[in-house]
Amino acid sequence: MDTAVLRAEVRAQLAQIGQADIVIGIPSYNSARTIGHVVRAVQAGLAKYFPEHKAVIVNADGGSTDGTMDVVRQSSVEDYKPIMLRERVEPIAKLAFPYSGIPGKGSAFRAVFEIARTLDAKACAVVDSDLRSITPEWIELLVKPVLEGGFDYVSPLYHRHKFDGTITNSIVYPLTRALYGKRVRQPIGGDFGFSGKLAQFYLSQDVWQSDVARFGIDIWMTTTALANDFKVAQSFLGAKIHDAKDPGADLSDMLYQVVSATFDLMERYPNVWMPIHGSEPVPTFGFEYTVGLEHINVDTSRMLHVFREASRNLGDMWLEILGNGDLREVERLASSDDESFRFPPGLWTRVIYDYAIAFHRQKMSAAHLIRSLVPLYIGKTASFVIEAQDMDQAEAEAEIEKLCKEFENEKDYLTTHWRQP
Amino acid sequence: MTEFVEMMFVPLQELFEQFKAFLPGLFAMLVILVVGILLAKLIELILTKSLTAMKFDGWSDRMGVTTLMRKGDMWGKPSAVVGTVVFWLLTIVTLMGGMSALNVDAIDQLVAQFFGYLPRILSAVIVMVIGYVLTGFVSRAVLIATANRGFHYAKLLAEAVRFLLAVLIFAMVMEQLQIAPSIVLAAFSIVFGGIVAALAIAFGVGGIDAAKRVIERETMEKRAEEQKDEIEHL
Repeated sequence: MDTAVLRAEVRAQLAQIGQADIVIGIPSYNSARTIGHVVRAVQAGLAKYFPEHKAVIVNADGGSTDGTMDVVRQSSVEDYKPIMLRERVEPIAKLAFPYSGIPGKGSAFRAVFEIARTLDAKACAVVDSDLRSITPEWIELLVKPVLEGGFDYVSPLYHRHKFDGTITNSIVYPLTRALYGKRVRQPIGGDFGFSGKLAQFYLSQDVWQSDVARFGIDIWMTTTALANDFKVAQSFLGAKIHDAKDPGADLSDMLYQVVSATFDLMERYPNVWMPIHGSEPVPTFGFEYTVGLEHINVDTSRMLHVFREASRNLGDMWLEILGNGDLREVERLASSDDESFRFPPGLWTRVIYDYAIAFHRQKMSAAHLIRSLVPLYIGKTASFVIEAQDMDQAEAEAEIEKLCKEFENEKDYLTTHWRQP
Repeated sequence: MTEFVEMMFVPLQELFEQFKAFLPGLFAMLVILVVGILLAKLIELILTKSLTAMKFDGWSDRMGVTTLMRKGDMWGKPSAVVGTVVFWLLTIVTLMGGMSALNVDAIDQLVAQFFGYLPRILSAVIVMVIGYVLTGFVSRAVLIATANRGFHYAKLLAEAVRFLLAVLIFAMVMEQLQIAPSIVLAAFSIVFGGIVAALAIAFGVGGIDAAKRVIERETMEKRAEEQKDEIEHL
């Protein structure tokens, strides 16, 4: 048993616990403001839906300086009566410790997988520490399909504002769906359920010294489950509201992390994704309901300004990646006015496939390549905002569905060029 | 008559004696040349294969070395070009070594000078290659970072960075080769100092209002972006 990533005191605590049916992981970094609510929601969820199961809550912390781990240790549901529950039969153990290894969410997850293996857990889930909208039902929805439905991986399904999650909606979801043939709507959702068997499989992969340990763990978990034929489902969790985003978080860093992780996985599984055509839905659990979402302000004129300036400055680089035909289309697009600005789905699909092919052929450094995608992505996002301005949630979703179909229909373009030397 | 024959024969004999003394050296030079060139060819072959196996060509593509070669009308694979360069370097070294086997003072001096200068040539080549790769990488990073923020003069700025770095690298190469080092140092100081002084004067005196406007616009745009764009990209 390799528990090298766990400290001696954690191993001692695990030895005391012995075995557990359910492990819930909460990776954290300076989340003292929100993690208390998350811990209480998890405790209530375990008490309400899994009272007969032995469960452990694991907080793998990345060296917080705001007392996150103290909050975890102090947080508990004091009184079960207001939430109409009796005291649960099995007590819930709680572990809070700083994880070892490369700093990043991936290393935190690795510690959770290690604990799941050590405790021989049947089902696990991981939830973000900055969630404000988590309810006890999330635990049921992420764990029950594994524990009682025989599924290995449960992806989240949220209701989000039509302008939120644009990297997911315009790149990760359409691409993952076209590549692996499964309609997993939130492949990088951040809150997942998985079986003990899958946790062990994750641990056996030689990725923990790579970028997966730092970032890209979400898409890696989803793709690994899809590409290795594990049983995948998704659960409707309602709205995803979390703490105000980090104002220092840079779009180009985010895009680089997500897209490079997705392209890296394409390199790993070409024999899996190449023969797949079309896609099929995955079983979905949970009761879908409409969620009232806050209005979002978007300044499309500034976004289009960035796109147009970049098309003047990055033309030579884009030519190398997109080729002459698509570059001409992008330049035509840049010269159109704000009202009529529409990024055609076919062009966007080829842009993403061209970038994947350029990444595969190592045309330039991965960081430069993917960061040069930022203005194109901004243009695509602005186009979607303009198009979907007056659409309701369902109509906006239908637009995303159209884009996904385009990715599926154009997949031959990707496979043909991928194979060429 | 006998004297006349002797007059002709003695120089010929001396020439023959000199040639006899020279012959082993010549033979040694030929052997050194043949063995050296064969070894150089073998090393070229091994080096090219190893570089191909290490995916050196892909790395060169990414770093812009291939583009530089194409601009210089070199159409071979980068690994093959490195192999060829090493082959010719070794051939020149072999030739110099072979010539020293002739034991001619003038050639010996030339060979000694060549070998004394060789490390400088090698370090200059290394500085040039690393400098070129670094220059391309940094200027491209500047281009992307500024273009992604919607900066109008992104390309101009990237080219300026490329030019400044190229000047720096050129000065370093000249310094390595010891070609008029004092003039190069003075020229470099004047050019670099001149650029910095010009920028300082342009921004500090002539362009103070323009600089203020640029900074204000950038700050306002940033604030507006923070206030208006509430999209969560992930």
